[in-house]
Amino acid sequence: MTLFPLQAAVQNPNLAMALAVLAGFGFGFMLERAGFGDARKLLRQFFGTEMVMLKVMFSAVATAVVLTSLLDGVGLLDLRALGNLVTTETFLWPMIAGGLLIGAGIVFSGYCPGTSFVGMASGKLDAVVTYAGVVVGQVVAAELERAAPFKRFFESGAKGHLYLYDVFGVPAAVLALAVAAVAIGSFLFGEWVERKLGGDGAPASPARPRRFAFGAFAGVALAAVASLALPSGAGAAPRAAGSIGVEELARRVFESPWSLRVLDVRGAEACGAARIPGAECVEAAEVAKLGLDAEAASRDLVLVGPGDLGVPPEGALAFPGRVLLLTGGFDAWKSWALTAPTPLADGAPAAEREASRLRAGVHAAMTGVKAAAVAPAAGGAAPKRKKAGAGGGGCGG
Amino acid sequence: MPKEPKPHWNPYVAGIGLGLVLTATYLVVGRGLGASGPALRAAAVWVAALAPVHAATTPAFTRIVAEPHPFENYYVFLAVGTLLGGFVSAYLAGRVQPGVTKGPTASLQWRLWAALFGGVLLGIGARLARGCASGQALTGGGLLSAGSWAFMLAIFGGGYATVWFARREWR
Repeated sequence: MTLFPLQAAVQNPNLAMALAVLAGFGFGFMLERAGFGDARKLLRQFFGTEMVMLKVMFSAVATAVVLTSLLDGVGLLDLRALGNLVTTETFLWPMIAGGLLIGAGIVFSGYCPGTSFVGMASGKLDAVVTYAGVVVGQVVAAELERAAPFKRFFESGAKGHLYLYDVFGVPAAVLALAVAAVAIGSFLFGEWVERKLGGDGAPASPARPRRFAFGAFAGVALAAVASLALPSGAGAAPRAAGSIGVEELARRVFESPWSLRVLDVRGAEACGAARIPGAECVEAAEVAKLGLDAEAASRDLVLVGPGDLGVPPEGALAFPGRVLLLTGGFDAWKSWALTAPTPLADGAPAAEREASRLRAGVHAAMTGVKAAAVAPAAGGAAPKRKKAGAGGGGCGG
Repeated sequence: MPKEPKPHWNPYVAGIGLGLVLTATYLVVGRGLGASGPALRAAAVWVAALAPVHAATTPAFTRIVAEPHPFENYYVFLAVGTLLGGFVSAYLAGRVQPGVTKGPTASLQWRLWAALFGGVLLGIGARLARGCASGQALTGGGLLSAGSWAFMLAIFGGGYATVWFARREWR
């Protein structure tokens, strides 16, 4: 169990709201200290005379990246779980388009929505007008979204929860070190541009805070990389496949088939003869050609081999949701599902009765032979259906 | 404010401060920072006041207008805090100066219309990107979300591509 995020606020919306005022206070204070209450200061970024947005934004992002990677490395938090909790899923195309629009919005208004609050707090009328514009923009976008083509674009490029450590296939700590290096490089480049364009008017960059900042980024990132060597480290490693047992798979195939995509990679002949209900027959070498990366992250991908697969076929890990290998493969399924369950003794525990009923149902569906009736549960209620999505949908399990 | 405003903080120091606030928010609240949420809520409430049925059938607003208190929301409280924090910092530094920020030669009217236009672009962009520069770029970027990083680079791209058209406002 990881320590962070502290569960108190995650589970109590009222506490979260009280803490929100505190978080917002720090946010507004830092934005104002950086000078973002003044639209002209932000605009110097785009005239190249003072790279203030680059420096502040990248410093903030790099700080968060190296600290969370270090905490992940020493096992205090699960970076992927935190990301799934905090960040939105990736919708690549609308996000790029939205970024371009926001960039244009910044140079016309002089604010991004966050800094307009700080401008308002400093008494700036243009900041109030800007935020009024943001409200109007939300109405415009909401109206556009009613039209089908815009809605399609709004949901295009859906990748589910996708992280840079998945894209590059390296541990998060290694990526944190790369982020620190890129940040420092871009700061040095930014200062070079400032001197080129600003000449004597270029903003001073005193050596002490700069050395401190660069040293801190690099130092914490290196510590995070070193933490990969710790045995305790959760280390958001590149994606690996999980496993699923026969019984759980059966339950989900029959109760929530929409939460799964099952690929049978034993080869066309074996798969054609008998397969798990709903499974698709795919040659292992063809998995990479299925375009699995475009699937919704809310489903799980299950791979069925003749026995244990060991490693997933090439391309399977591009699937945005969880990737699960069937433990024991089809052989295990066959011996579990095609063998009639032994009748239960009277007074068997409820869980056992329920498991037996599932097994009898699967067996009947697979063989067409009805097994002996299972002892009814107290009250005679059928096993509860799982709610849609609860079976392992979700974004990170 | 009679006194001369104090200089801004060194950008690296302010950036690290912002990053610490962001990280603390992840760890304690299990959420991020943001600023466009209240605008979406205000938009929903405003449209609902004029045309309740229309608002309820607009996908972006449906969920919000169904809430009994649309402004009892994490991001609204966050915005209240942002205003407070911004004011305290500006006040302590002698930077609370009512007025309009613009370039020396730009007219007041032109500047305010441009601010409104820019704001509309920010609003549409924030809806498309599921968040603004703080809610998406900072919050998602700090947790290495791929979409947030693409968004962050696009912000710089969009700014540099259009700054020439906005130059009269600032120079």
